[in-house]
Amino acid sequence: MKETAISELDSRAEQALHQGDLPIVDRSIRIPVLIFFGSGVFWLVVASVLYLLSSSQIHTPTAWWTFPGVASLSFGRVYPAFLNCYVYGWATCAAIGTGIWLLARLTGVPLRSPLFLILAAVLWNIGMMTGVLSILAGATTGRELLEFPPETAFILFLGLITVSLWAITTIWNRKPGPTYISQWYLLGAFLWFAWMYPTANIALGIAPAPGAAQPAINWWYVGSLVDLWLTPIALAVAYYLIPKIVGRPIHSYSLALMGFWGLALFGGWTGMTHIIGGPLPAWMVTASIVAKVLMLIPVLAAAVNFHLTMKGNFGGLRDNLALRFVVTGAVIYTVYSFVGSIISVRSIAQFTQFTFVTVIHSQLGLFGFYSMILFGALYYIVPRLLNRQWLFEKLIEMHFWLLVVGLGLLLVDFTIGGLIQGFALEDPQIPMIAVNDLLEPFLAIQNFGAFLLVVANLAFGIAFALILLISVPARKRQVAIQRSNEASESTEAEVSVA
Amino acid sequence: MKKITGLLFGVFFLFGASWLGLVAYPYLTFASLRQSKDDATGALAPMGNPGTATQGARVYAANGCFYCHSQYIREKDEGNDIDRKWGTRRTVARDYMFDQQVFLGTSRLGADLTNVGVRQTDPQWFYRILYNPHTMSHEVSMPAYRWLFETREIQGQPSADAVKLEGAIAPPSGYEVVPTAEGKALVEYLLSQKKNYALPEAPEATE
Repeated sequence: MKETAISELDSRAEQALHQGDLPIVDRSIRIPVLIFFGSGVFWLVVASVLYLLSSSQIHTPTAWWTFPGVASLSFGRVYPAFLNCYVYGWATCAAIGTGIWLLARLTGVPLRSPLFLILAAVLWNIGMMTGVLSILAGATTGRELLEFPPETAFILFLGLITVSLWAITTIWNRKPGPTYISQWYLLGAFLWFAWMYPTANIALGIAPAPGAAQPAINWWYVGSLVDLWLTPIALAVAYYLIPKIVGRPIHSYSLALMGFWGLALFGGWTGMTHIIGGPLPAWMVTASIVAKVLMLIPVLAAAVNFHLTMKGNFGGLRDNLALRFVVTGAVIYTVYSFVGSIISVRSIAQFTQFTFVTVIHSQLGLFGFYSMILFGALYYIVPRLLNRQWLFEKLIEMHFWLLVVGLGLLLVDFTIGGLIQGFALEDPQIPMIAVNDLLEPFLAIQNFGAFLLVVANLAFGIAFALILLISVPARKRQVAIQRSNEASESTEAEVSVA
Repeated sequence: MKKITGLLFGVFFLFGASWLGLVAYPYLTFASLRQSKDDATGALAPMGNPGTATQGARVYAANGCFYCHSQYIREKDEGNDIDRKWGTRRTVARDYMFDQQVFLGTSRLGADLTNVGVRQTDPQWFYRILYNPHTMSHEVSMPAYRWLFETREIQGQPSADAVKLEGAIAPPSGYEVVPTAEGKALVEYLLSQKKNYALPEAPEATE
């Protein structure tokens, strides 16, 4: 019953939008979405440069190109600066831009005035800039992924609360009809992020928690940030774009709903797996491990749903680059989640925690799962906002393959290197210095993987700059990305009958 | 609107459960931790840290030491930290009750520092490593923290805390390398890292 409802909805809402409202809705959000995307790409480029620098710093800390002796460009500051640029600059700006676009389209509610969202983007960028400079200057809070000083966090919070309030009121005022599954994920994400961010900043900065409660709150926040902010945003994109591009409704609406509630139920509990064996009551860590393993239920629900929606349409991966990015990201989501569950089990964590295995796991999530899907979203959305087409399809192909090869290289390198590191750490006969020496070849190879990822992201930055600067109007059936979209829109009639 | 109200409630309460369990619970309960009193000697444990060590914690944070160094000891069945002689027992919540800021860390690219003040008691050892980590090994990933030191002309007597350096990195004659106030605070902090007192809830590991 629900399944037919969603397929009808797909076509009905779409038809209504295409008949008249779509251009109005699209035009009303164009400027704020583009500002968020532009900011995201800018911070992605900054993050990439810092990432490459921090990667070579742990390999050759004395080489002149790693700026030895410069405090503000030392590993202990460049690394958190990179991570914050990536997570709050690129990932979050891209999430907000995509969220605005998706919500406007799905609710059919045009933006009355773009001013508030533009203000939010300005606040966010001011916060980012001061935050990153504070980290480099050594004015960090010293808490993972909450390094920005409280004043900076407050500026970011103002931007965030503006966007979240807009998101919630937009969903509230949506055009009548059933709710899209993507809307559920977006509503959850904007609400959870607007909750976890101030909570963590207050409980760790303004009224600091006592002693060992600090790491508990810190890792509750990081776990939630990944599982209840970045993950639902990426899933909202995948649940929207995969059916849209292949021109077929999502395979099972109820499975998607089950996945949503699974995520909501377990997502906030996963964080303590970062500090297994830490000075917390055992039940807290155990709850996190259980949540992390049970997370496989929503992960599998999404994987099965995407797979069955894609079935028979895998050829689209060759022609449609946006789809290729999104589906690759969705596949990595499954791999990433399985790895995450495995390395959370106590007997395995004994050997993998503290090592590069955990590093590559989070990179797989950030660079692979999340960013791949969001890249797909930008490749899909930006031409529609500007009514232009991407120049140089080769550049986008290059972006994709460099990401895949770079990430694959890092995965192999850090998995082997990290396991060697883990077994060496657990062997008390091997001195610490020798453990570090064992890592040398792996740290050398990761430089190369990092380099590929950085070139990939620069290629994306160039492609984005080109489409902003050079106006080549979208011509029908010319660029592959455009082409398959036309195809999907022509199948709508079929969908509504199905 | 009925549907979205249910959705909002679900979204709110499911996340609220984790907030209660992992934020509110430790926030409230860890605040009521008290020192442990040894029945025989009446000694209290843990004791707070000296003020300079607290300043040193800021330097530790500013330079991101915790991205490569952890500060906790796992139970014997959860890891070999105790066999590695990083501690004689696991660390528990009470160990951190006086720490202004807790740096558990998630990486051991460097050694665990929970009890580094027990293993090394000479400030010179820390100064030499911080100034030139490559005395440990040529391949070590640790950067040299030269900005925590200054090279200055020797005025009269050489300073007591001048870093003893040899070979190519030694300062020219008539000059000495001394830690800055930040450098001293950091070493003070590292020297104070001693969780070697007894706590009833964390008995010494037995073979």
